[in-house]
Amino acid sequence: MTPWIEKQRYIIDFTISSLLRRKVKNIGLLTLYTLIVFILASTMFFTHSIKKEAAIILQGSPEIVVQKIIAGRHDLFPISYIDSIKSIRGIANVETRLWGYYYDSLVGANYTLLSPPDNSGTTQLSGKTTAVETDPDDAEALAATKPLFEYNGALLEPGTLIIGNGVSRMRNISKGDYMPFMAADGQIMNLKVSGTLSSSSELVSSDLILITDEDFRKLFGIAPQFVTDAIVTVKNPNEVSMVAGKIKKRLLDSRPIIRDEILRTYDSIFNWRGGMMIVIFSAAVLAFVIFAWDKASGLSAGERREIGILKAVGWETSDVIQMKFWEGAMISLTAFFTGVILAYIHVFFAGSPVFEPALKGWSSLYPNFALTPFINAEQITTLFFLTVVPYTVATIVPTWRAATIDPDSAMRQTGE
Amino acid sequence: MIELVNVKKVFNAGNPSEFSALNSVNLEIAQNKVTVLKGPSGSGKTTLLSIVGCMSRPSAGRVKLNGREITSLPERFLTDIRRTTFGFIFQQPNLIKGISVLENVMLPAYPLGEKRAHLKMKALNGLAGLNLSSKASSQVEWLSGGEAQRVSIVRALINDPSIIIADEPTAHLDTKLSYRFMEIVEKFKAEGKTVIITSHDPLVYDSAMVDHVVNLRDGKIEDE
Repeated sequence: MTPWIEKQRYIIDFTISSLLRRKVKNIGLLTLYTLIVFILASTMFFTHSIKKEAAIILQGSPEIVVQKIIAGRHDLFPISYIDSIKSIRGIANVETRLWGYYYDSLVGANYTLLSPPDNSGTTQLSGKTTAVETDPDDAEALAATKPLFEYNGALLEPGTLIIGNGVSRMRNISKGDYMPFMAADGQIMNLKVSGTLSSSSELVSSDLILITDEDFRKLFGIAPQFVTDAIVTVKNPNEVSMVAGKIKKRLLDSRPIIRDEILRTYDSIFNWRGGMMIVIFSAAVLAFVIFAWDKASGLSAGERREIGILKAVGWETSDVIQMKFWEGAMISLTAFFTGVILAYIHVFFAGSPVFEPALKGWSSLYPNFALTPFINAEQITTLFFLTVVPYTVATIVPTWRAATIDPDSAMRQTGE
Repeated sequence: MIELVNVKKVFNAGNPSEFSALNSVNLEIAQNKVTVLKGPSGSGKTTLLSIVGCMSRPSAGRVKLNGREITSLPERFLTDIRRTTFGFIFQQPNLIKGISVLENVMLPAYPLGEKRAHLKMKALNGLAGLNLSSKASSQVEWLSGGEAQRVSIVRALINDPSIIIADEPTAHLDTKLSYRFMEIVEKFKAEGKTVIITSHDPLVYDSAMVDHVVNLRDGKIEDE
């Protein structure tokens, strides 16, 4: 073994024994450091995965949704608009939708009620609107045509409804139970639960209730010549924006919303939530930075004395700096890896109990689903450079200052 | 041989608290001899010793070690000279707490990257030479004052230096232990080492084994 390697071994051994000599201080620092990395990494993992999850699920959402707008507010969409949209070149299919929000005062939650497209009964294919057949070998095309939710064969007929898992948990009801609603005319509608939605799409279907066209119109008091909005399928995916522009031009009071915009909205919602979490925890981060800076940069009298002794007995300034570098690197790397691993377990295996209420769901309905682990190398690298590097540098600078002082200070020590 | 030519040391230069610790000191320290720097507190003994031992640089003047001018050498080379040529025994044992006696003794040799087995053997032999074998694995906090002093002597010898520097070595020792220390110094002399001691203890400077006593006062050498 070369003297250089042997020297590094001696320095690392001495560093470890130095760390163990200040057990209480170092364990305290390590715990706090790990906690901060854990919080930041958990928020990052959670936000990133939930956005990915939402994006994958929303692949199945409509390419264009057309709404009617009056004075900037969403209004009921006249069925008579459909023909006008259908006549636009490039459109494969137009379907109408009936959906709305219902506030359940009993549990204080908002549900999304939707009449599935097949039940609206307004879609008519004409010579101009031919549906594009999907190639069974094209996974992307299949994903795009996959419905947003699956209701596992449950039959939806007048007087029944299919509920999302969040609704089922909140109301503690399942198949066969009845759920009362107050209709627009003040009458109570008692609808029977005929099934629940698949849990695989719970991120977007937690608060969803599927209801027939007839019951929906009765509940919300919507006349037969109106629907909530229309969904448009385009033959060539590259022409989505172009078709949306044409719709807007033809129907001046319409608002076409393309899928990418919905994805962007989801992205910004979860970015915003993740950002809020980081803002809330920034106080903790700041407290840690102050603590770490104090511990790392301010050498105690004992440490200064020790550096003096090491220099007096023949250690070079670079040896002392190397020792302190290893010390800082060991603490920060241990904290970093422990924090990241704990965050991974917390988010992907334990269902992130710490952040769940703040990061997912809305109103009082929280989806219950296991996130698929998605890790962004860029985020991990950023976290590394924001935690490990500053701490290691913070330990070296004061050591360098102390280590460049003449070693004769050790000779002038008069007492312990 | 160590030669000091017109050496001056000023602390806090340019400040109102400027203080001149050494004023134009010219001194020759002979090889294989025991030299004592004697003088009252504040006379500049420790400052002179630290300059001789390459622990600090003079504000002016030159220091030569075996004819080689060392004052202007970069810190790295000074450290190398300090590590291989000098062994230091401080007024306080200056041992590092929390680690064993053996580790403390081996500490000065770490930067040299010597083989562990060889270094350990050397350290154990050194401890045996001063009757400290049984303390090798003890923590330094458990040692008595005399034991700690002897451990610091073993540490000073680990790199087999040719010059031993001791700053007020008997200041915290009782008479018996002070005599024991002087016996060790005699052994160094017998082995052909150069010993430089600062002291105002008569037990040291009046000892028969001392070859040369340098009297210092107010940063200057007094005529003998």
